[in-house]
Amino acid sequence: MSDLIFDHVSKRYRIRHEVEAHATRHPLIRKWMNLWTRPEDFWAVRDVSFAVEKGEAVGIIGHNGAGKSTILKLLSNITTPTSGQITIKGRLAALIEVGSGFHPELSGRENIYLNGSILGMSRAEITEKLDSIIDFAGVRQFIDTPVKRFSSGMYVRLGFSIAAHLHPDILLLDEVLAVGDAAFQAKCLDRITELKEAGTTIVFISHDLRAVERLCQRVLLLKRGQIVMSGSAKDVVAAYKSDATLSSESVEVHKKGETKEVEIRALSFRDEAGELKPIFQTGEPLVARVDYEVHQPVKDAVFGILFFTADGQQHCELTTELSDDEISLSPGKASIEFRTPELGLLPGVYFTSVHVQERNARDVIHYQYKSTTLRVDFDRVVRGNFFLPHEWSIRQVRDGQESEKEVVGSNR
Amino acid sequence: MSQEISLAPLDESRTSLPRIRVIRPPSFSLLGLWSSLRELWKYRDLLYTLTAHRIKVRYKQSVLGVAWAVLQPLSLMLIYTLVFAVVARIPTGGTPYPVIAFTGLLVWSLFSTALTSSTSGLVSHSHLVTKVYFPREILPLTYVFAAVFDFLIAIVVLAGIMIYYHVAPTTNIILALPIVCILICFVTAMSLVFSATQVRFRDVGVAMPLLLQLWMFASPVVYPLSAVPERFRSLYSLNPMVGIVDGFRTAVVGGAVPELRTFAVSAVISILLLPAAYLYFKHVEATIADVI
Repeated sequence: MSDLIFDHVSKRYRIRHEVEAHATRHPLIRKWMNLWTRPEDFWAVRDVSFAVEKGEAVGIIGHNGAGKSTILKLLSNITTPTSGQITIKGRLAALIEVGSGFHPELSGRENIYLNGSILGMSRAEITEKLDSIIDFAGVRQFIDTPVKRFSSGMYVRLGFSIAAHLHPDILLLDEVLAVGDAAFQAKCLDRITELKEAGTTIVFISHDLRAVERLCQRVLLLKRGQIVMSGSAKDVVAAYKSDATLSSESVEVHKKGETKEVEIRALSFRDEAGELKPIFQTGEPLVARVDYEVHQPVKDAVFGILFFTADGQQHCELTTELSDDEISLSPGKASIEFRTPELGLLPGVYFTSVHVQERNARDVIHYQYKSTTLRVDFDRVVRGNFFLPHEWSIRQVRDGQESEKEVVGSNR
Repeated sequence: MSQEISLAPLDESRTSLPRIRVIRPPSFSLLGLWSSLRELWKYRDLLYTLTAHRIKVRYKQSVLGVAWAVLQPLSLMLIYTLVFAVVARIPTGGTPYPVIAFTGLLVWSLFSTALTSSTSGLVSHSHLVTKVYFPREILPLTYVFAAVFDFLIAIVVLAGIMIYYHVAPTTNIILALPIVCILICFVTAMSLVFSATQVRFRDVGVAMPLLLQLWMFASPVVYPLSAVPERFRSLYSLNPMVGIVDGFRTAVVGGAVPELRTFAVSAVISILLLPAAYLYFKHVEATIADVI
């Protein structure tokens, strides 16, 4: 049985373009004319259909502007669809920006009632769960002080605690898990997992691909307001990551005060022999080569390459900064090669940025963002966040005597 | 985890939301009006909680607290007494002017506070409106009810003033009840219209003080209805607040039956306006989160 059905749902926004400034002089006339300009249609969600089964956890991913938050708003009935129909069976609770319904002047207790009823709980229900809510948030001591005196952590904890006591049939999750300290985040995840195990249907809309993969069985990939892929979490997340390569464009960001004494020409990834290599595998040696041209001598230069994950997080870096050896550049073309014997990055697509700067200088000399992407492919399954090169050996004890240690394997 | 939260299935009868909800593009019919009312009824706890908090917050950090609900009409009464009874010497037909002014201001402040605060109500709660769903009319309604609360407190003061000036009520005071109901009906309708319009056109909020000022002098608030020349009366009475303010004063202070024709105009306008205003509000509500 489907708990939630999206039936050919579309949502149109109308965007008004300002009448150009030169068209008329007086701002009042311009405003008046703005009222009569034809608005432009923008379809945030276009003909989207999907169903979520009871007890299923479905993730929705996509780039910014793909329509994720519009779907969230449609689901929680904050805005209405332009066409199509959404059917929701059971009580739906949205865990979006916890604590947004708090009133600073009121006490924690009063806010529990306020926020609880905004989320759709009855007063009797709140009274019944009051103690449990206070204890889960761990704010019993302060429950009768105005929440404006709460620390931001307490604020978030209380907000989540109220929502966690809703017992919804369907739970809508935004990027809420990104708030609070690590311990509380773990507590939230535990609670969500509990709800999931108790049969709550979950719709999780996030940029956090890892969290989506962990929580959801099925994932929908959105692109320009339409579902372009639907399938197992692993497949869709992988497709999304590789799609990120295709759409990545070279963006050169000129930082303010940039003096082009040195220009970065190219970043390339090669094998040990120095041959260009399109795809790497976890654990393989990697050579990253930066070609550059020096126009004016630089005394103490620092080169660095930053790797970003598909969702934009800084992941790791290669840099000459940590060494005190001076690199002095003299005019002409040259290249620098970074070598790593075993690539620790897990399969995925990584964006890069390259920069060159003078040590301790405030401004970079040249900075290139997303010019080259590094693609690491599946070779073996690695759990965790990165690959740690390792080998193992076994020591056998025979007749009270330890034998020679014997290397029996390595992961190289 | 040390906390244990029972995950027993929720008792259906206590679930305050419908089992199946279908969200469709907004369409307008009288049937929709009915389902909106049912939805509002399901959220009655929120309406109650928000109204209670509205009242609490208003007086929480003020030293005089609830006394403000009394002080405001009382000080206005003194000012208008000075202007109209001492300086302009307006004829009041026997009733002491302060009593005339206070009854008028009592009714008027319910109308003007409710309208002023609810007009900005939706916009000032945009953080809620864009994040959580609940029937949006709850926001203007809470301001109306909070104003009714102030009104009830001021009624006590009116009793005091009437005793002081030896103005005795008659059994006709019971007629004040339907009049107050019509007043609440009218102010609710106006609040719905203005708060919804304010979302798209902020001009409404800016124009509100001026509008209310004009409207007050166009209603028999600080002067009795008898001060209005006979030949302008019928045109003048088209303003629903005329029948309401005068009716309330006649029933409570005058001890007489209010003129039915004037009051009927107010009642008919208010009763017809309320469903229309609600429909308009619901129409705007559908896209409120997109434009706020």
